Amino acid sequence: MRTLRAIAGVALLAVIAFVLYRSFHHRARFGDSIAVYYTKIDGRTLAEWNVSLSPDARDAKSVAFYATAQAVAGPPPDTTAVRFPSGTIARSAHVSGSTATVDLGGSLAHERSDGSFAESGEFKALVWTLTALPGIDAVQIEIGGARVPTLPGGHLELDEPLTRSSW
Amino acid sequence: MNRLRALAGSAFFAVAFVCAALVAATPARAQAVGASGVMPSPADYWFAGTRLSFARPQYRGGRLAVATDDLGLARFLAKLNATLSYEPGQKYVVVTAGDRRTISFALGDAHVQVAGATQIAGFAPYAAGAVAYLPFADLARALYVDQIPDGDATVLQPQLAALDARQAGRVTILTFRGASPLHFKRSSAEGDDHLMLAFTGISSTLERSRTIAGSAVSGVTIAATGSPRNPTTVVAFDGAPNATYALVPSDSPNAIAIAVAPPGVALAGTPVPAAGDASVATIPLGPAATSASSSAPAPVVAATAPQSGPTPTALGLQPATLTGVELDPSDDGLTVALAIAGPVTYEWHRLSDDRWYVDLKPATLAMDAQDIPTRSAAVQSVRVKGFVGPNDHLPTVRVALSLASPRIVTVFATPNGLALAVDRLDDLAAVRSGTGEVAGGKLVASIVPLPPVVSPITADGGGAPTAAPWKFAPPPAAGTNARLIVIDPGHGGSDPGSQHNGLTEKDLTLDISKRLRALLVERGWLVKMTRDTDVDVFGANASDRDELQARCDVANGAGARLFISVHINSFTSSGLNGTTTYYYKSDSYGLADAVHARLAASLPTVDDGIRKENFYVIHHTTAPAILVETAFLSNPGDAKLLKTDAFLQKVAVGIASGVGDYASPAQPLSSNASAPDGGN
Repeated sequence: MRTLRAIAGVALLAVIAFVLYRSFHHRARFGDSIAVYYTKIDGRTLAEWNVSLSPDARDAKSVAFYATAQAVAGPPPDTTAVRFPSGTIARSAHVSGSTATVDLGGSLAHERSDGSFAESGEFKALVWTLTALPGIDAVQIEIGGARVPTLPGGHLELDEPLTRSSW
Repeated sequence: MNRLRALAGSAFFAVAFVCAALVAATPARAQAVGASGVMPSPADYWFAGTRLSFARPQYRGGRLAVATDDLGLARFLAKLNATLSYEPGQKYVVVTAGDRRTISFALGDAHVQVAGATQIAGFAPYAAGAVAYLPFADLARALYVDQIPDGDATVLQPQLAALDARQAGRVTILTFRGASPLHFKRSSAEGDDHLMLAFTGISSTLERSRTIAGSAVSGVTIAATGSPRNPTTVVAFDGAPNATYALVPSDSPNAIAIAVAPPGVALAGTPVPAAGDASVATIPLGPAATSASSSAPAPVVAATAPQSGPTPTALGLQPATLTGVELDPSDDGLTVALAIAGPVTYEWHRLSDDRWYVDLKPATLAMDAQDIPTRSAAVQSVRVKGFVGPNDHLPTVRVALSLASPRIVTVFATPNGLALAVDRLDDLAAVRSGTGEVAGGKLVASIVPLPPVVSPITADGGGAPTAAPWKFAPPPAAGTNARLIVIDPGHGGSDPGSQHNGLTEKDLTLDISKRLRALLVERGWLVKMTRDTDVDVFGANASDRDELQARCDVANGAGARLFISVHINSFTSSGLNGTTTYYYKSDSYGLADAVHARLAASLPTVDDGIRKENFYVIHHTTAPAILVETAFLSNPGDAKLLKTDAFLQKVAVGIASGVGDYASPAQPLSSNASAPDGGN
């Protein structure tokens, strides 16, 4: 009888440990999908679409990177939107405190051929996307691994973290 | 004793149970590659006319897995105008197709998201060290690339995969989307009712005929011809009698949009040329990277700007080093991999006698100059040498190819530097030069700050920029000169700004600014320009920060009362137009409001309103500061206006009148109106 009790007790502890592990592992911070924003062609209005998350890739760092890559790619091709230049890539993303630092590269690191209108819409959508994630209030942009004042030939100031109130 | 045994046994089972639970909770890991049995022999892949090889292929159940940093994969994606985003340690890999669809992989998960739809891959992608391995067949399929058996080889054949039809009034717009940038030849005569286009290098998975419910075109017929390695897709438009056709802007080089109008309906766009590609009607998005896949004009490079400023080497920027050259010949092509340590810019040119070269600068050679034998039928020789640029005095490394015949040479970045892929015969020869940067993890922006360039103040604002000894003559506090306005003509020198419709932003901003200066001087203001010729304000080869801060310093240093930056907007879609006035600081709203009211009332452009935006030059000037985007260079209507003196004068008059409404040179300095929202 005592043996059975001991087994039951240990099994109960094991179940509790498992439940605690699962809750710690996932932190229940993200659901099945996240919202990704884009700026409409008027340059002011934001809209969103949803992308699915993999069940085992829902930690804050992975989701921040995924959100960045999706925002940089922009909405599906039949959607008219202000888009990052074709060839722009997400190089890295990490979250420290309430600030996400994202490093972008590819064609974005080259001299721009479009104007301030596009820059504003692109980064507004990226900032809205990342700050929609739990715990992120600001986004520090890096280009090619370095903090820059603006994009090459650009206008928008990037060397300080951007927030939703930047617009 | 029995009790102890029982406890030990139950503890063992509990530990085993917890371990099993943890294992079950952990994401499935990929099995070691090749561990399941004999590694299959590598497939002989052909793509875009040459053999495609992968440096470190792995196999899962006989299926090819390619590494995210594989040079072969980089070349494959570059040809398709696709990009890959991955960071070691991350769980997601996102590939963006040329037509902007995303293909999202999660490591350890066989579910792949393709443009929002879930597909099941042959195996789950997995991490191995600092790279991720992707199921190549599933990636290729998602990118609209079919695998066609051809003898012992497998041809990776791009497909024309989507056709969208929409009506815009009586005009029908047909958009074709393909796996790769689209090139076509018109096989019908100009003016024919039945336009016929042959898309080269691409096959088609589209249905053979499509009925279109349009008033100008009733359908299209699609026929895939050619061989597996050299496919062509012919599209015939069944237009109404006397229908007209035009290329209209598309959002990607992988898409071509054709507008068809019935007789009597005016059609905007570019007449369909005898041969061309999407770039005919696509606004260039950046420097051309492929010598024949895009006709985007090469941006003006620093070397063409006046060389009055300090050089990067003089400023302490270390040249990059070419540490190695590796040749990878294929049956009818050659890939030249350049290992480069450090950030570098590159500029390539194709000469008329089948010579092609790329200059890396600032860069030095870690080896002796040499002529490397190629053993390739496509390239006779590869020569590498180092020298000092005769005009810019920068250390330069040149890699020169002697081509056996006109070939497409694609330049793309690799994790170690650059790669030059010499491909199939080039029948377009559209582009002969291009530029770009290899960041190597750092931008060429970490230049040691030097004193900014300041122009002396004159009554008419004249005076060329000179390098004033700024740090020995502290500037007066901003806003101390009640009569002084600083005008900043946007861009200039090595930075042309936007270039569309035959216009260049830096020229127009300077033209408008000079007109504005004359008007303000007439009205009693002292005016100073950040530049009054086509120069960089800080100096050639300056970092972006130095260039922008130099413009702010002109105003801050002179104690300007107001700062006005003049720009011309542009966008990737030619549809946008209008005039916008930007401010950032709350004390600038009143100036923005006054100026924009005058512009909106006097200009024939669309009123895009006043916006708050953190633009560098209107943030870092102490005086109330605005940035006026007068019109869209990329819009044909606005561009037509920008080509007239009358419009440029109206802009200048509008700004000057707005300034007059806001302040007078006779008035002493006083507080300025704040933004309605309180602003910053």
